[in-house]
Amino acid sequence: MSARMKAVAKAPADLRVIEQFLYHEARLLDEQRWDEWDALFTDAGVYWAPASPDQANATHNVSLIYENALLRAVRIKRFRHPNAFSLQPRPRTVHAVTNVMLDSMEVNGDCVVTSRFQMIHYRREKQDLFAGTYTHHLRSSPEGYRMALKKAELVNCDAPMESVLVYF
Amino acid sequence: MKSLSNEQLATLVQSDRVHRRVYTDPEIFELEMERIWGRAWIYVGHESQVKQAGDYFATHVGRQPVIMTRHRDGKVHVLFNRCAHKGAQVVGDTCGKAQQLRCMYHGWTYDTDGTLLNTPGEEGYAGSGFGKGNPASNLQHVPRADSYHGLVFASLSAEGPPLKTWLSGAAASIDNLVDRSPDGKIEIVGGCFRYLHDSNWKMFIENLNDAMHPMVVHQSSSGTAKRVFQDLHKETDAVPFELEMLAPFTNDYGFFEKMGLTAWKYGHSVTGGKISIHSAYSPIPGYAEMMVAAYGEERVKQIFAVNRHNTVVYPSFTLKGAITSVRVVKPIAVNKTVIESWVFRQVGAPEELFTRSITYCNLINSHANLVGPDDWEAYHRVQAGLSAQDAGEWISMHRYKGQDHALPDGTTESAGTSDMVFRHEYDTWKNYMLHNGVFP
Repeated sequence: MSARMKAVAKAPADLRVIEQFLYHEARLLDEQRWDEWDALFTDAGVYWAPASPDQANATHNVSLIYENALLRAVRIKRFRHPNAFSLQPRPRTVHAVTNVMLDSMEVNGDCVVTSRFQMIHYRREKQDLFAGTYTHHLRSSPEGYRMALKKAELVNCDAPMESVLVYF
Repeated sequence: MKSLSNEQLATLVQSDRVHRRVYTDPEIFELEMERIWGRAWIYVGHESQVKQAGDYFATHVGRQPVIMTRHRDGKVHVLFNRCAHKGAQVVGDTCGKAQQLRCMYHGWTYDTDGTLLNTPGEEGYAGSGFGKGNPASNLQHVPRADSYHGLVFASLSAEGPPLKTWLSGAAASIDNLVDRSPDGKIEIVGGCFRYLHDSNWKMFIENLNDAMHPMVVHQSSSGTAKRVFQDLHKETDAVPFELEMLAPFTNDYGFFEKMGLTAWKYGHSVTGGKISIHSAYSPIPGYAEMMVAAYGEERVKQIFAVNRHNTVVYPSFTLKGAITSVRVVKPIAVNKTVIESWVFRQVGAPEELFTRSITYCNLINSHANLVGPDDWEAYHRVQAGLSAQDAGEWISMHRYKGQDHALPDGTTESAGTSDMVFRHEYDTWKNYMLHNGVFP
């Protein structure tokens, strides 16, 4: 048994808590509660949506989104800006998260979780479907989990695509 | 449908206004594909995308599928991606490596310079005049292909000015892009954005040197970035790259006015020159020293004094030297365009310079970010607004009319916010569309 599997086998009880965290996170996005969503990140936490399949890093390849706390704050504040024209009308989304698997877990509860997602995106009489893989790097804290990384790898990340202004 | 006569076309573009049909009429789009995109030099890719023999990169010139290949002798070829036999695309993916290019349908096999090598059942073609040995049975080269500093362009017309002549004053933007590498070399690293627009290809081209829009369109991204930074900034913090990039989009009208605008023969143009929205970035540690070691102090001063903003190489290619990225126009239909963004690495320069270019592209050019999508929204609304037939048929190009400075060498200069660039592009449009691509 690999070290990783051993670690997973030791902590099966946490999976429900982790799943609830992922559903909660997705719900905050759909309900446009962005400040609460942003608070789920650690101070150095990063949101990343790569632009190429199997993209190894964000430094040697462009990314659809690669945002630290500062850039998330700009995007979130802009959601409420009266002259954010590409958000008029504002998009609406539904995120569905499935196939949640615990990839690894440390003794202190920090873990890496992968899942699949679908996001229905609706704006101005047009509905689009996005789908892909989430990887969450979660840090355990007394207040619950925090995201050190949320990576959203779209199955069609390198396809020609119109504007998408929300988080996958 | 009766096709448009040149006389009818001529009435659609006047000295200070252009008719809405130029952006909305599918017949005009077809004529543009033939007369502009079929004549001008169109950007294909960079030689670094086919570094080694056998490497290939598949793309389009206008709407025609082509393959850029590197042959054994090191020469780069631009071939139509069409089997001479039944017409199937020989290369089915975007890039890769192959010793030979084999058609998946009947197994016709070509060398990487396009020469037909093998056809199964070859004896069946004996005496037919078709098959091996007949140049018409090779993968066909585009009528003309050439490169400038490794940037490969193709022309679908056998006639016309050579690439270097045609680039005219825009060539200096490419020179500066390469000069900013201590090794005098650039290469494409990583993938690209492919941003789908539901608008005519000219809207993107025209917007790049439209200096009256940033402070309006980008207020919500650039203005918000400035405010968020003020809220979060601590005295000890360095100003992050991200803010240096976003903030100048909402510089005042005076700044963009002063940036200046220059246009050259064949429709090319540039905003900026001495200053641009990129010219106040913090220095990258060690970079200036590397440049001085490579070129000497005097030459480096000259290189860094060039601060061009957007260079438009009409109709297909746009370039930002300071952040080493290019955006490539791919027209699909009258109201459908894909804009590809690629990032170059300046070979020999600090990695941080490259990372800054990546960050810039993520922030500005990504379809999932905060700046480009507001431009997209403007193009979308223009395209939609132009279907209002009864409200007026014309689009204005009046700003600073009569105040252009024409220089003896064919260059035209104006204030940064002048409509000169649009008037100039439509003079070019007329030369391609009405005068067989012959420029006075």
